[in-house]
Amino acid sequence: MNTDVTRREFLATVAAAQGAFVLGFWMPEKARAQTQAPPSTPPGAVWYEEPATPEVNAWIVVAPDDTVTIRIAQTELGQGVWTSNAMMVCEELQCDWTKVRPQYASANRDAREKAPAWTLAVPGNGATDPKGGGVPTFGDRDRTGVAGIPDSLYRRMRTNAASSVKDGRYYLQLAGAEARERLLLAAAELWKVPVAELTSRNSIITHARSGRTVTYGSVAHRAAQTPHPHPETITIKPPDQWTLMGTEQKNLDVPLKVTGQTVYGIDVRLPGMKWAAVKACPVYGGDVKRFDFDAVRQMPGVRSAVQFPIPDPALTRGRIFSGGVAVIADSWYQAKTAVDRMPIEWTIPPEHAAVNTAMMRDALLAAIDQPGQVRVNQGDVDAGFARAAKIVEATYSTPYLARARMEPGNATVLVTDDRVDIWIGDQSPQETRFSASRITGVPEQNVYVHLCHLGGGFGRNGNGPQAEQAIMIANAHRGTPIHMLWTREQDFIGTTYRAMGMARLKAGLDAEGWPIALDVRTCMQRDGFGPEASFDVASRYHVPSYRYSSHTTRFHVPVGTRRGVGQAAHEFYRESFMDELARAAGQDPYRYRRELVARTNLPYKADMLKALDMAAEMSGWGTPLPRGTARAIALEERGAEAGGLATISAMVHTVSVSRAGKVRLERVDVAHDTGFGLVNPLSVKKQIEGQIVWFYNDAMHQATTIADGHVVENNFDKFPLSRIGENPPEINIRFFATGHWLLGMGHDRATSVQASIGDAIYQITGKRFRDLPYNKHDLTWS
Amino acid sequence: MAFDLVINGSRHRVDADPQTPLLWVIRDHVGLTGTKFSCGIGQCGACTVHVDGRAVRSCSIPAATAIGKPVVTIEGVSPDGTHPIQVAWKEFDTPQCGYCQSGMIMSALALLRERPHPTDADIDARVTNACRCGTYYRIRKAIHLAADLIGKQLTQDVR
Repeated sequence: MNTDVTRREFLATVAAAQGAFVLGFWMPEKARAQTQAPPSTPPGAVWYEEPATPEVNAWIVVAPDDTVTIRIAQTELGQGVWTSNAMMVCEELQCDWTKVRPQYASANRDAREKAPAWTLAVPGNGATDPKGGGVPTFGDRDRTGVAGIPDSLYRRMRTNAASSVKDGRYYLQLAGAEARERLLLAAAELWKVPVAELTSRNSIITHARSGRTVTYGSVAHRAAQTPHPHPETITIKPPDQWTLMGTEQKNLDVPLKVTGQTVYGIDVRLPGMKWAAVKACPVYGGDVKRFDFDAVRQMPGVRSAVQFPIPDPALTRGRIFSGGVAVIADSWYQAKTAVDRMPIEWTIPPEHAAVNTAMMRDALLAAIDQPGQVRVNQGDVDAGFARAAKIVEATYSTPYLARARMEPGNATVLVTDDRVDIWIGDQSPQETRFSASRITGVPEQNVYVHLCHLGGGFGRNGNGPQAEQAIMIANAHRGTPIHMLWTREQDFIGTTYRAMGMARLKAGLDAEGWPIALDVRTCMQRDGFGPEASFDVASRYHVPSYRYSSHTTRFHVPVGTRRGVGQAAHEFYRESFMDELARAAGQDPYRYRRELVARTNLPYKADMLKALDMAAEMSGWGTPLPRGTARAIALEERGAEAGGLATISAMVHTVSVSRAGKVRLERVDVAHDTGFGLVNPLSVKKQIEGQIVWFYNDAMHQATTIADGHVVENNFDKFPLSRIGENPPEINIRFFATGHWLLGMGHDRATSVQASIGDAIYQITGKRFRDLPYNKHDLTWS
Repeated sequence: MAFDLVINGSRHRVDADPQTPLLWVIRDHVGLTGTKFSCGIGQCGACTVHVDGRAVRSCSIPAATAIGKPVVTIEGVSPDGTHPIQVAWKEFDTPQCGYCQSGMIMSALALLRERPHPTDADIDARVTNACRCGTYYRIRKAIHLAADLIGKQLTQDVR
């Protein structure tokens, strides 16, 4: 084995690096001033395995100075999970929030230990029980054997589906409560008093009768040895007892993000580390025919080249990416310069090379007129059309869209014969652990995924094969840590796309303009799980006869999640069509929507009406606006038709269009559901503000097109990101409480930007555009 | 070929091709990783640093152009996050993923040097960095607060 670093040297250095890493995430400034090094992490200790202070449970370590380390099993990618997960634990632990220090949970330990029994049962009675744990979903094991892992130590380590609070809350609260009760038991044993006489607050345990107090840190050792006699009796606090949860807390890692100290995957440095720059075939399904390393071998710093195949689709959730070549060099820029200059020939499947966007569009249009799969068929749609006073029909389309997170894909991997270490910002470390094991033959129990912060995520399976490529490259260089980093252009190849989609909606209106029949036909590329959710259930707007049929096509472009699945596109189709119906009926789009919601008997009808009314009132709906400015409203909900978990909001967008066709989102008024309670309302506001920008970009600027089988827009010059000058100067957010737990905040909020800008353009210019983005159309008016 | 760069007030001997983009010299040769790589073509501004007091996109200029000129990176703004622009950024809990924020802060700081009390139009014209999380709403507020804080600091200094 070619070993640049011996195992012992490596562990020692990595421990030091991880010590710095832990310190790097050290949060509150007050606490930072108190101590320079995390007391639980002496030099030489591998923090996640052997803390100097024994853990109370797998989530919590209390140090003698009352610093509380809380282990986070999700990845921080800007959504605030580093803070909200810690808040849920701290709420029950009753520890001093200023002394809380988050730390990533070990995905390796997760492979070796089972979840404590007390985390396996969800307390309470589901979505509408404020005392309960809501409705977390743990998927079953999928064909790769790793997707669900319902009973491994940290249960769900994925960061996806806007679910970190929804799924993790009950067991993170339980983890805090279990530790608190054991700390109290330890103090009771120390003082020989009944545990019922003890109270705890802010990391201090008090025995009121004797006037004694002790800190958590003083009894943590003892608590670690004190099992809970009846863990099944532990309960969690309902929202009316929360003291930390529900308050606006600044994110614990923000101080590091304003000083450049945050450690992202790209920032990992190891002794003896070499860099890899990659070129994968730009056409998915393509592979390397030949490459000429001799042409670049003599370039400065260049060490080797390695070809890698198309990653096994079983490891990439069925998606077919490309084969490619990596050049390994002393520095990344040397590797990148060499791989750019190295002659490479590709083998490209001719049927892929022949594909372009126009063809795909034709295929979608052709498919949409086929019978399709009828998903909903209520009433008699055809009879409704036959007696309608007016028929309105419209076809909408949405392009392929990249996620384009800011941090290009990367991973640092060290493979040896008996162990694999991976440093990576990763939304699914359990799957990465599995991939590493399959590629290298090292058992999963010996794979260590060291999580780093991620420079944007926006879709779990959108990360593509960054880990798999890096593992294959490092596996060919056993003993040497290899840091693989994609260029921006490679990042656009190594990702999945939001599927291109199309919808044809047809409504029959009665003499007063109310819909009596609605036929919805959608077509999207299906891959893995369908991106076509959201018209499946009864329409959120009342219509007596309703039919929904979905159509799928297959293309070679890998598709997947992108801040949601297909819902954002479907929301564009649905809410745009509601505006068109209101206009056809000669009615106000707010009152039209309101009446159609009011006519339903959907379980959360009152909440949807409240959202619409509140947003309209906030925006000054109906008050005059200058010429060239217009308001548009839309309802947003996930889950509200089903009556379980739901997130409900309404937004009014005030939009101006100059005569030259320049669109400006002037103001956004948001009425948003909190469910029984938000964990961190500040993070929720930031999610809403951010998603306004996200869907503004979808609406105005972004599209991915395909030419000769490859993605055309492969950097930010061709795939534009809006800048501060386009951002709405005014965003007003108001919350209202509802009687259910939330379905999530991380995606599919603010989707209404898309339809609302379209309706505002229509009001101002008289032109209706039905395919995104709007900037490709002539928006001028006179 | 070796050359010297002065970064955040310290002189660094760099053994690299002087045509290497400044970004990679800062990150990989000097070891300051707060400055980020994202597009590599000078579009997004994640790599923004100051050269001779001006904000530049370090991915797109050779390190040689910075020889003999002071370079300031995010690590040089303050040793402990107490510069008014960092205080303002924290006040609004501005970053989300944070990846673009080093460059964003460097661009905003260059603007504040030239325009101590920037208008919204000044901000729109001069802070042209991209943020994929969409933190612009808070960035604008933070820049205005930073201007106020710097103004107050100057007033105190005069007194």
